[in-house]
Amino acid sequence: MMEYNQQLKLQAYLDGELPEAEAREVANWLARDREAVALLTELRNTRQALAGFEAGFRVPESEDFYWSKIRREIERLEPVEAPVRPAIPWFKRLRGLLIPAAAAAVLAIAGLVVMQELGLRQRGTPGEAETALADAGTFTYRDFSARATLVWLTYPAENEVAGEDPIGTMD
Amino acid sequence: MRRYVISATCLAWLAIIALLFGPARVLAQPAASKFEAQLIWGTNDSKSPDPRHKPVTPEILERLKELPLKWSHYFEVNRRQFALATNEGKRIEMSDKCDIEVRNLGNSNVEVALFGKGEKVVKRTQPLPSGEILVLGGNAPNATAWLVILKRIK
Repeated sequence: MMEYNQQLKLQAYLDGELPEAEAREVANWLARDREAVALLTELRNTRQALAGFEAGFRVPESEDFYWSKIRREIERLEPVEAPVRPAIPWFKRLRGLLIPAAAAAVLAIAGLVVMQELGLRQRGTPGEAETALADAGTFTYRDFSARATLVWLTYPAENEVAGEDPIGTMD
Repeated sequence: MRRYVISATCLAWLAIIALLFGPARVLAQPAASKFEAQLIWGTNDSKSPDPRHKPVTPEILERLKELPLKWSHYFEVNRRQFALATNEGKRIEMSDKCDIEVRNLGNSNVEVALFGKGEKVVKRTQPLPSGEILVLGGNAPNATAWLVILKRIK
């Protein structure tokens, strides 16, 4: 079995990187060792094959763009790991529910109070009602600018007390 | 974020408290109201035959002139002031022949009944907020008129 350093020396000999003395030694070694010859032949064939492939290959885009495409494709094919969400404590989740709950409570209470107020006002606001008694005919006049309501009565009939009282029937 | 949560919760509680106690405060306001009733005689004569009568105040005269009344002069025969708590009613004698009964119904509403010679002539229920007047009137002999003016003065 050939040592690793010997293999490297054969590679250097093939590439013409050895000094002349060492190259001569390797040549003598190759004359004696069939295994070394076989390895040198294999290395030579490999170099020829690689040189043939590399010579005609041209990247259609710039190298940076070419490799960035490859990187993006690799990233796309890699499974994306879902971000790990930290566990939310129950009291934080409860606190998050408090805001909409409080808002709903405010709206509900406001609605109740408004309804109650309206109910009270409706009960307490009889509006305008008039009952004429004693055969008194009435008409009502409302003057908004004067902020006055006039209720005119026909009671008592003028001839009932006319002449008895110089001023009037009611005063 | 936590600060906003606390602020929102405080705001919600403040709103609840305001809603609960606001109407209570309004409802707890003193309900007693002060009223004034005047018995007025309307005539086209510039002077009243009764020396006790005095012309109505310019404010009342101005407001009466805005109403569809044909008389040019109005004299005050009697004036009464009285206070009524909510749901309290009083009968007020304006003259020998004329009484009114006023009941404070609360929320600026009043019930007014007019009595002529002891007989209930009319009963009326209406809002009477401060600044408004209610005029009850009728014809009197010799083309004159009688008027009862009711207003809330407080």
